[in-house]
Amino acid sequence: MLKPLVKEKKELIQEYCVKRFGMDSDIWNNYKWYAGSKNKIYLANTLDIERIIPESKGICIFRLDKSPKPTTNFLQLFGKYISKNYIEINNKNTIKYCKGDDLILESNKAIVPGFVLITNNKRFLGCGHWNGKLLKNQLPKSKFCNINFL
Amino acid sequence: MNRHQIIRDKIIKKYSILVDDEKKFAKSINLPLKQSFRVNTLKEEKERVLNKLKEYDPKIRTTEWNDNAHVSELDNLGSSLEHFVGHIYIQELTSMIPPLVVKDLIKNTSIIDCCAAPGSKTTQMAAMMENKGHIIANDARHARLKSLRGNLDRLGVTNTSVTLRDFKSFPNTKADLYFVDAPCSSEGTIRKKKSVARTWREKDYLRFNKLQKGLLGKACEMAPSGSSVVYSTCTFSPDENEKVVSDILDKYNMKMKKIDIKKLKSESGITKWNNEKYNSEVEKCMRVWPHHNDTDAFFIARMEKC
Repeated sequence: MLKPLVKEKKELIQEYCVKRFGMDSDIWNNYKWYAGSKNKIYLANTLDIERIIPESKGICIFRLDKSPKPTTNFLQLFGKYISKNYIEINNKNTIKYCKGDDLILESNKAIVPGFVLITNNKRFLGCGHWNGKLLKNQLPKSKFCNINFL
Repeated sequence: MNRHQIIRDKIIKKYSILVDDEKKFAKSINLPLKQSFRVNTLKEEKERVLNKLKEYDPKIRTTEWNDNAHVSELDNLGSSLEHFVGHIYIQELTSMIPPLVVKDLIKNTSIIDCCAAPGSKTTQMAAMMENKGHIIANDARHARLKSLRGNLDRLGVTNTSVTLRDFKSFPNTKADLYFVDAPCSSEGTIRKKKSVARTWREKDYLRFNKLQKGLLGKACEMAPSGSSVVYSTCTFSPDENEKVVSDILDKYNMKMKKIDIKKLKSESGITKWNNEKYNSEVEKCMRVWPHHNDTDAFFIARMEKC
């Protein structure tokens, strides 16, 4: 069951997005934030329904365990607002990434270790975790697939 | 002859009397359908996506009647990167019709999609609404919510709440628009789905008719005055189409609205079938036959609560 997200947690995530990805916090002005099970955070611009509890609202954007972890859905939808900590990968690596593989990439000092947005030719693929050498795949298993056209 | 052929021939024989060109109808039923899709404008500009897709298939064409309905020669666009990132949604052309018939009403409204999974129409409406307004996407089966949620996530739909209810017991909820894309015998999708022949049973018409009347009746019952109800199926069967609408018109205070989609060839609803006469207003319904636009078959009715 979704509950409205407490202000402190909302601010924590917004601050993370501003610092980590250079996003403007104004982009969420028209959204409502919700907390679901397993520390999942949802973003929606829906109305409340009387006498019925929805299974879900909007999309799951973060998981808030010890630190915030952005979801692939979030990065795909809001990727256009991200100005730092994104990694562009080539077509060969894109196929590997979509299959769920981790990627070994050349080190890049502009990227601070942590969660990153993966892009290919202006297409926002999803989430990865960069440690300076290895890009750990963060795609959910349900999204793993073989890409034939890119 | 295998079962698929037997059922196909049965369908052709049964509905030939309703069509304008029996030969073309029979021929079209035997032809496979090409893959169709629409661009998800919530995530990317249409032209940009189409230009990219044309690198894979230069023959992609846009239909005359819907500027965001495209047909490809490829049958595996689901394995394109555009599909992975949610820039396209693979959808039958006819399935894109219901949101189009209420194009004039759809912006910033509240909508209840009574049988929403897997989310083709819900995501299409969300895109037309530019993620504004509010959609309640309901489905009765838990197993189907996974695909619905997956599609809403992939396409970046934020204006939708997902509910799990048998719609017949859904609490009365006011909305501007109700969509009842009802479960049906799916005869009209036989060009694409071989499973139709596997599951097709003559006696199912009655079962579906009862279910459809229950769902549409509930939507009409809870609809406030001035709101619209759209009913659609992908079957040829008048028992699941005009008969359902006719019975609802006789029972509820609903008024039929004429449907017109420019450049889409279609026919009016029929008023007589199997010695049974229907409410003459059902003529305002729309029937899309497979041979008219090289699509599946489809039935759609638009009503307004008085």
